[in-house]
Amino acid sequence: MTKKQEQLTVLVIDDDMARAQSFQSALADTPYQVIHLAHTSMSLLKEVERHQPDIILIDIESPNRDTIESLATISAYNPKPVVMFSDNQMPDMVNDSIKAGVSAYITSDTRPDKAKFILDVAVARFNEFQKLRDELDQAKRKLASRKWVDQAKAILIEQQGMSEQQAYNAIRKMAMNNGQKMEDVAKNMVDMMQLMAGGKQ
Amino acid sequence: MTSNTAKALEKTQLTLGIIALTDSAPLVIAKHLGLFQHWGLTVDLALQHSWSTLRDKLQAGLLDGAQMLAPIPLASCTGANSGNALITAFNLSMNGNGITLSKALYREVCQVSDEFEQQTPKLPLTASYLKLAIAKRKQQGLAKLTFAVVHPYSCHFYQLRDWLKSADIDIDSDIDVMVIAPVDMNAALESGDIDGFCVGNPWNAKAVRADIGVTVITSCDIWSQAPEKVLAVSERWQQQNPNTFLALLAAVQQACQWLAEPINRFEAAVILSSSEYLNEELSVVAPSLLDSCLTERGEPPRKVVAYNRFISQEANKPTLTQGYQLLEKMATAGQLNGELSQSQQHQIVKQVYRPDLYIAMQRLLAVS
Repeated sequence: MTKKQEQLTVLVIDDDMARAQSFQSALADTPYQVIHLAHTSMSLLKEVERHQPDIILIDIESPNRDTIESLATISAYNPKPVVMFSDNQMPDMVNDSIKAGVSAYITSDTRPDKAKFILDVAVARFNEFQKLRDELDQAKRKLASRKWVDQAKAILIEQQGMSEQQAYNAIRKMAMNNGQKMEDVAKNMVDMMQLMAGGKQ
Repeated sequence: MTSNTAKALEKTQLTLGIIALTDSAPLVIAKHLGLFQHWGLTVDLALQHSWSTLRDKLQAGLLDGAQMLAPIPLASCTGANSGNALITAFNLSMNGNGITLSKALYREVCQVSDEFEQQTPKLPLTASYLKLAIAKRKQQGLAKLTFAVVHPYSCHFYQLRDWLKSADIDIDSDIDVMVIAPVDMNAALESGDIDGFCVGNPWNAKAVRADIGVTVITSCDIWSQAPEKVLAVSERWQQQNPNTFLALLAAVQQACQWLAEPINRFEAAVILSSSEYLNEELSVVAPSLLDSCLTERGEPPRKVVAYNRFISQEANKPTLTQGYQLLEKMATAGQLNGELSQSQQHQIVKQVYRPDLYIAMQRLLAVS
């Protein structure tokens, strides 16, 4: 390898000491640095906060799994790639798992020397998924903002007799003058119209 | 009576996933009373340790069916790339959750209530006292309160939200919420890692018996008649095993009928408390099954009608309305990642909620 890879912290949550140890030694000369936690239950999120791991490796049978999954679904936390130790051969359900925050599985017949490869793939897959999700969020936000601008345009066309282009220009001008986003100007306009319509009743 | 009317079963050996909670009762009782056997099924109940793993094993086909938090099948269908949808044709239980505060937080709440009204608060507790306690903590520069629920996609989370919202407490900024497995709730409450939780039983009753918490309100006081757990299978599994699925539903329906009799409730508690299932004292398993909510050690319990409900008029049949209501709760909690159009919602609810299969099971029961 020509480029030096940066260090990545792996938090291993597993009560099976032998399994955890064999993966720890398999990762010895790799960029992955292992922190092993066993028999933890309640202060798990504190540990996650303290170590700021880049990857979490957890036993599929651990009661902590729901806590780890909440990292991906409660917005106050930062999602992390999660890799799961499993005794069973989990069929390929990558699409479903990755939605739930699981990026890869390590099964009982996985050889420890494959550990690095699996973690590499998990990180790549996770980053890909996050990117797609961010793009989707952005597209949705754009759509929402267009919705406000469309509504505001409709108001101007109806009430002021403007053409569509005139209405659009008017909103853009007001946004530029006030140093605001067009979406915010449009939203204010729609809110104001609703307020006035409500006041008349 | 078994095989004359029932069509050939595609599969007779089943493994069903359960979580150590009082409302696993319909599956436990169906096995214990031999109802699965009666319908030609040999069933193993596999105790699982997390809802996430229960769901994954169901989707992966490692489990045939499972007791499941009602919102999870819907959550498995929202968003892109749903490979193997989870469906339900049976509400296993309604109600059953409680909100328990640590003794320390309960004392703070009593203090503010005493300052404002010169009396200890009545139960079920109005969240306004909690709001006052939160304001007081802020003034004193104390840490934010932390509450725990069992899963992000759970009625527990939505019930906690609704209770707090009733007093204008902002769940996103006024408190912290975290997820902890039911079995670990009491240890977290005792250590002070959390200040309260919303969980199913026997874990509320256990906190009261151990004198580490006070159960101040139940899900029955917050929502009326909410489906809590459903019997979930994957859509693919149901398509491959349609007759087995109906036989499974029929056995569970008969277990719910048995559970409806008050005279059987204590027996159910005895069975559930055994080491095979909850492995907890009868004194913490029995109360909620007998409509009794333990409140605080040394204080009388509170009567909560249908604290654990397993059956009532039409209660077991899943309705599309229930699906829409849960989707709305998920949307309010900001879990739908953007808006779903009405037709998308309709599509999801119709895929997950299968009253048609429940009706098919009723026909089977009627002719057997």
